[in-house]
Amino acid sequence: MKKKLGIYICACGGNISDYVDIEKVKDAVKDEDCVILAKTTMFACGDSNQKDMDADIKANDLSGIVVASCSPKLHLTTFRAVSERAGLNKYNYVHANIREQASWAHSDNKTGATEKAILLVRAAIAKARLAESLEPIVIKSRRSVAVIGAGVAGLKAAISLSRMQDEVFLIERENRIGGNLANLDTISPENISGKELLIRLEEDLKKEKNITLLTNSEVVGNSGNIGDFTLTLKISGSEGSTTKDIKVGSVLVATGFNSYIPADGEFGFNQIANVITLPQFRDILRNADSKKFVFNGKVINSVAYIYCVGSRQVKGENKYCSRYCCTAAVQASLDLKKKYPDIQNYHFTKGVRTYGKQELIYKESNSAGDIYIQFLDKKPPIVTELDGAISIKAGDLLSEKKEIEALADLVVLVTGMVPDKDTSIGSLFKLPKGRDKFFNEIHMKLRPVETVIDGITIAGTCQGPKNVMESVNSALSAAAKSHSFVSKGELELEPIVAYADKSSCNWCNACSDACPFNAISKIEAEGKEVASINKSTCKGCGMCLPVCPTDSIELISFTNKEMESMIDVLAQ
Amino acid sequence: MSRINPKFGKELKKYGATEFNSCYNCGTCTAVCSLSTGDDSFPRSMVRLSETGNEEDISASLKPWLCYYCGECSSNCPQTANPGELMMSLRRWLTAKYDWTGLSGLMYKSLPATIVAMVLIFAGVIGYAASEGFDAEKVMHIGHYFEMFAIAGVFGVILLPNLFRMWYFVIFKPSRKKTAGKAESETEYSSRLTNLLGGIPLRVYLTSLSDFFLHMFTQKRALGCDDNQKRWFEHFILVIGYLTLLFTTVFLDWFSSENMFVIILGYLVSAIVFIVTFDFVTGRIKKNKEVSKHSRPSDWFFVIWLFLMGVTAFLVRLFIDFNIIESNFWLYLFHLTILAQWALIIVPFGKWTHFLYRSFAMYFDKLQKSAAK
Ligand SMILES: Cc1cc2nc3c(=O)[nH]c(=O)nc-3n(C[C@H](O)[C@H](O)[C@H](O)COP(=O)(O)OP(=O)(O)OC[C@H]3O[C@@H](n4cnc5c(N)ncnc54)[C@H](O)[C@@H]3O)c2cc1C
Ligand code: SF4
Ligand code: SF4
Ligand code: SF4
Ligand code: SF4
Ligand code: SF4
Repeated sequence: MKKKLGIYICACGGNISDYVDIEKVKDAVKDEDCVILAKTTMFACGDSNQKDMDADIKANDLSGIVVASCSPKLHLTTFRAVSERAGLNKYNYVHANIREQASWAHSDNKTGATEKAILLVRAAIAKARLAESLEPIVIKSRRSVAVIGAGVAGLKAAISLSRMQDEVFLIERENRIGGNLANLDTISPENISGKELLIRLEEDLKKEKNITLLTNSEVVGNSGNIGDFTLTLKISGSEGSTTKDIKVGSVLVATGFNSYIPADGEFGFNQIANVITLPQFRDILRNADSKKFVFNGKVINSVAYIYCVGSRQVKGENKYCSRYCCTAAVQASLDLKKKYPDIQNYHFTKGVRTYGKQELIYKESNSAGDIYIQFLDKKPPIVTELDGAISIKAGDLLSEKKEIEALADLVVLVTGMVPDKDTSIGSLFKLPKGRDKFFNEIHMKLRPVETVIDGITIAGTCQGPKNVMESVNSALSAAAKSHSFVSKGELELEPIVAYADKSSCNWCNACSDACPFNAISKIEAEGKEVASINKSTCKGCGMCLPVCPTDSIELISFTNKEMESMIDVLAQ
Repeated sequence: MSRINPKFGKELKKYGATEFNSCYNCGTCTAVCSLSTGDDSFPRSMVRLSETGNEEDISASLKPWLCYYCGECSSNCPQTANPGELMMSLRRWLTAKYDWTGLSGLMYKSLPATIVAMVLIFAGVIGYAASEGFDAEKVMHIGHYFEMFAIAGVFGVILLPNLFRMWYFVIFKPSRKKTAGKAESETEYSSRLTNLLGGIPLRVYLTSLSDFFLHMFTQKRALGCDDNQKRWFEHFILVIGYLTLLFTTVFLDWFSSENMFVIILGYLVSAIVFIVTFDFVTGRIKKNKEVSKHSRPSDWFFVIWLFLMGVTAFLVRLFIDFNIIESNFWLYLFHLTILAQWALIIVPFGKWTHFLYRSFAMYFDKLQKSAAK
């Protein structure tokens, strides 16, 4: 049956019509084959036009529409929704971008802009003639989630998922849960220790019936896709290790961070006695005698803290700020002073970042007489031994950049966060990483816990430095997201995917190499090896199409026929 | 390079600066200070030097004397670090630093020490009067001479050496640091004398003198503070009144004078002194301005004794005019005690010195700037 098309050409309030003669565009396309009606409108996305479109589709029984307006990035979903409201399958709507591609790009040439707009609309009409109705791909989804890593992020996520009645496998590499939290003393803000917090979480965990906790366990295999992953676990026990498969609908990764370990000689580390890292300092302080602070046989009367070690590096790779460490160092220095009031603290910072409520402890420390020195990026402090003490010298931005020296008995390197040294999870799930080598979300602001791999979410510090509160925030939001993948029992996926023609394909691996999402695998069919594309994993990106030597791959909704018909128009 | 000395901050607390540690170096204070300039930027820089305990730079700095304590910085400090009071405390600390006897520091830091000194002087006055059998005429005669000798003695033995020390810390020592390691011929200074004068030519010392007197008698700089006209005017007439009272009693011998002009002048200036100081004292009691909020014993002694001096001098002369001084000789003894305490404690070791140091600070500042050109 012949298509009945409606065409809408938008003025974008002048953004388009100032350069493109939209009436001329309308006149040029109104008599095209299949076109029943063509209209111009001031704002295609406006409510009144949306209502008009709805009425037009119904009144004329349209089987396709073309909207010529701004970039589809802006309003694709708007017009898809209009189509669906009017009872038209949304894949029968085709978009032409005559703002970014015509009016804005050629504002110096109105005639040319108009001609280009006409061609773009004609090409869209050509595609619309061939467009087919599509239905979303519906796949079954298991009501279970694997949470990898049982730090504070993993624990909170698991508890939250369990409370939403999902089955949870909480997988922890170590023999105990809690991750880095277990070693924390006072966590700022609020005066609570990591251990206390962990006890609370453990109690919560015990109450949850839907959680299977697997310690000493690592994920060694992964197959399947969103809704139906199969993970192979290696569980070590006293009698060697066993493997076990679990099936889940979604995976929540919360593998956390490691503390940066300074290189030998970095600020005297491992070369000068009494130069230690913040985590080491925490351990020592916890176990120290209550009357005198003695370390390495030396009574400690003054402590210097050097901030941003392994973070905000000017020369090194870690350009990021680790967020937690200013607060953690100030808190540690306050705890030290509480225990030994006469100790003098010196803080060598790059500018203190105790943001939010944490500012209060900075003020407390300042008022208590701690001295803050702000060193210059280009001139980090120089640490040397001097008469049985340690000298720390730096240019002080706050003292007109003059060089200033502190003598201390102990130097604490305030080390930042780096990604977990075990990178197996990243490679196993093909999780993309940022320049900072932490796992990357899809969009930092708008989709902060999803990854480009469908069904896999990230939470806590495996994504980048966070404090406890931020780790928990992201854990709860990742849990909600993972829950949304599995809660309905089935999932609707975009039907725009690629498929390979088994008869012409002679497995050559080119498409599989090109596919960024690992969607193509080799199967046996018709007595030979051919490519098979997993439609649940395929994202319809099109990378596999041009590399195929036998032209065996088609992308639904962007078929060769459709594309060629458009090119024919444009090339006229 | 300087080594951080946290002990300095603790020492400075004894001079009244208790909150400057909470400064987070935002610079608001410097931005709002109407006397701070690009070359002489304060008070943040002084807060910083205090925090890091850079005694050497503080001793060489004139900035504390360039502040006239309007309190704007303290009212605007987001950390309530009270930079205005820090500047005040640095002035106290500097006063102690300049004082070779060390007594200034002792009295600033210890109220009991000040009280003991005051009591000793009181006992001395009474003891002396008793030894003379409370003979009014004799005591008053000696009292007059005492005033003259006290002034000359305090000036020659205490104040002059202290001014020299101030010059040494501010001008001479820093100039030596600059030329350290260089042979005399290699220094940029044009002559041996200039070298001895801390790198500043004698000519500059002389041409800058006008500035010195201008500031000494007008405290013109204080007018640079916002909304400070009233306080400046009060302070101005107080200084003029005080100096004239000193002149009238010491050189014109007001209490024995028969000259009508001298008598009336004495009444006038002593009245000015006690009226203005009365206003200052009530201000400190009410604490309605930043400058009067944080009174230390040294501040109280200074204004109260000045007030008492004015009042008692006025009354003594009044009693003389009504011829009842002999029957009320206690009044003169009271006056003499106040005077002796003033001249022997408050002037050499107390807040009085700020009169000199401020003027010399302006002078030295002028010297440095002229020499730099
Ligand atoms: C010295 C110090 C002081 C701090 N002070 C504060 C503070 O005062 N306030 C504050 O808010 N924050 C503070 N923090 C930060 C805080 O520790 C973190 O924000 C928080 O612990 C992050 O939790 P997480 O769950 O993301 O990561 P982690 O605690 O690192 O947990 C990750 C877990 O995953 C497990 N894991 C990793 N890889 C695998 C794998 N492949 N398979 C299975 N399991 C795996 C790990 O064993 C670990 O148990 C401090 C950190 C340090 C180091
Ligand atoms: S939180 Fe502070 S110490 Fe840590 S990297 Fe950022 S600025 Fe440096
Ligand atoms: S369209 Fe993209 S995601 Fe789909 S199979 Fe081809 S390359 Fe992979
Ligand atoms: S690139 Fe083409 S021929 Fe090669 S495996 Fe893929 S579909 Fe088959
Ligand atoms: S305003 Fe206060 S906090 Fe800011 S620099 Fe001045 S003293 Fe410091
Ligand atoms: S008290 Fe006034 S003059 Fe002194 S530093 Fe503060 S703002 Fe400046």
